[in-house]
Amino acid sequence: MHPHGGTPSKINLPGIKNVIAVASGKGGVGKSTVAANLALALKAQGFRVGLMDADIYGPSVPMMMGVPGTVDQAETPFPLERYGVKLMSIGFIVPPTQAVIWRGPMVDRAVRQFLGDINWGELDHLVIDLPPGTGDAQLTLTQNAPLSGAVIVTTPQDVALLDARKGLEMFRQVRVPVLGIVENMSYFIAPDGQRHEIFRHGGGQKLAAAAGVPFLGEIPIDPRVAECGDNGEPIVSKYPDSPVAKAYAALAKTVEEQLKKHAQTELPGLQL
Amino acid sequence: MTVAPTPVNLQKDGTERLVIEWNDGHRSVYAWKHLRDNCPCASCREERGKPADPFRILKPNELVALAPVALQPVGRYAYKITWSDGHDTGIFTLENLRELCQCDECRSR
Repeated sequence: MHPHGGTPSKINLPGIKNVIAVASGKGGVGKSTVAANLALALKAQGFRVGLMDADIYGPSVPMMMGVPGTVDQAETPFPLERYGVKLMSIGFIVPPTQAVIWRGPMVDRAVRQFLGDINWGELDHLVIDLPPGTGDAQLTLTQNAPLSGAVIVTTPQDVALLDARKGLEMFRQVRVPVLGIVENMSYFIAPDGQRHEIFRHGGGQKLAAAAGVPFLGEIPIDPRVAECGDNGEPIVSKYPDSPVAKAYAALAKTVEEQLKKHAQTELPGLQL
Repeated sequence: MTVAPTPVNLQKDGTERLVIEWNDGHRSVYAWKHLRDNCPCASCREERGKPADPFRILKPNELVALAPVALQPVGRYAYKITWSDGHDTGIFTLENLRELCQCDECRSR
C-alpha cells in the first residue's frame, strides 16, 4: 500500500541539523528506552540534542526523563530540559491519569505543533520517539518533516521482526533513509558471567542483512534499564560505565556515521 | 521493492504538459489531463472503478477546462497537485509518476 492521506505542508526546521526517527513496527520492544538513551548518548558525545515524544496516546518520555506530571507553560516554556537534553511530550500537557482519545487529524496537529511551533533553538540532533506502527504520527512526519533518517528498534524474536519489517518498508516507501536496525533486549549476562539469549538471538542482524541496511548493534538486558526508566534517569546518565550505557555510546557513534553517509537532497519544486 | 529514480528537474511544456527529468537520464512527459485522469486519491480511484453513468449531469466546474494551480513535493517520495477545481488530495508517488510517463519510449512498451 502506498502512503496516502493528509494535506501536507512542509515544516521547516532551520536550526536543527539532523532529525532522527526512532521507530518499530511492534510496541513493547523498548523504543522509548532506546530513544531516550540514544539522545543522552549523543549528548554525552558533545552534541546539542532534543528528544521529541511523538507517541501521543502513550507518552513515555516524561517518566523516563524525570518529569512526572504536567507542566505550567506560563512558568516553564517548552521545550523542557533534563540532563542537558531538550524535551517535548504530550505528557507535559495532559495528566498521566487522563487518556488522550483523539482521531488522526488531532494527532497530526499535535505532532506538527511539537515539531514546528516549539522553539527548539540550535540542535545537532532531534531524536523523535515514534509510536509503534505505521499510522498518523509516522505519516505526518514523513510527509512534512525533514527526517534525516530512521533507526528501527526490534527485539530478537520473529514476532517482533515481522513488524519491524513493516516499519522498515514504510520508511523505504517514503524514501526516508533507514540508518539501521538495533536489536534491543538482545542477551543477558548473568552474575556468573554466562550469556543467556532469553528472546532468542540474531534476528535483528538477519533482518538487517535481508533488507540491505546496516545492523547498528545489540543492547543487552539489564534490570537497571527498567529501574532507571521508572525513576526518571535513563541508564546512560545514571550508570554511564555499565555495558548497556557503553552499547548506547557505540550506537550513538554508528548513528552519527550513518547520518553522514545519508545527506539528503530535497525534491525539486515547480512554480505553476 | 524497487525504488524508482529521483527527479532532478521539473518544468512546464506550454500549458498542457509537465516534464520531469530523472537522475537516471530519463525524461518523462505528462499531459496534465492524464495526471488528473489517473489521480491516485481514494475518491478518484473509487470513481474510476464505477461503471460510467450515461445520465450524469455535469457540474458547472466540470464545464471549465481543468488546470493545475500548484505542484509541491511531499516529503522525499511524492508530489501533490492542486487543481483549479480545488481538488488536492492526490499524492503521486515517484514510482507512480514513473509508471504514468507518456514519453514515446514508455508508451511503446
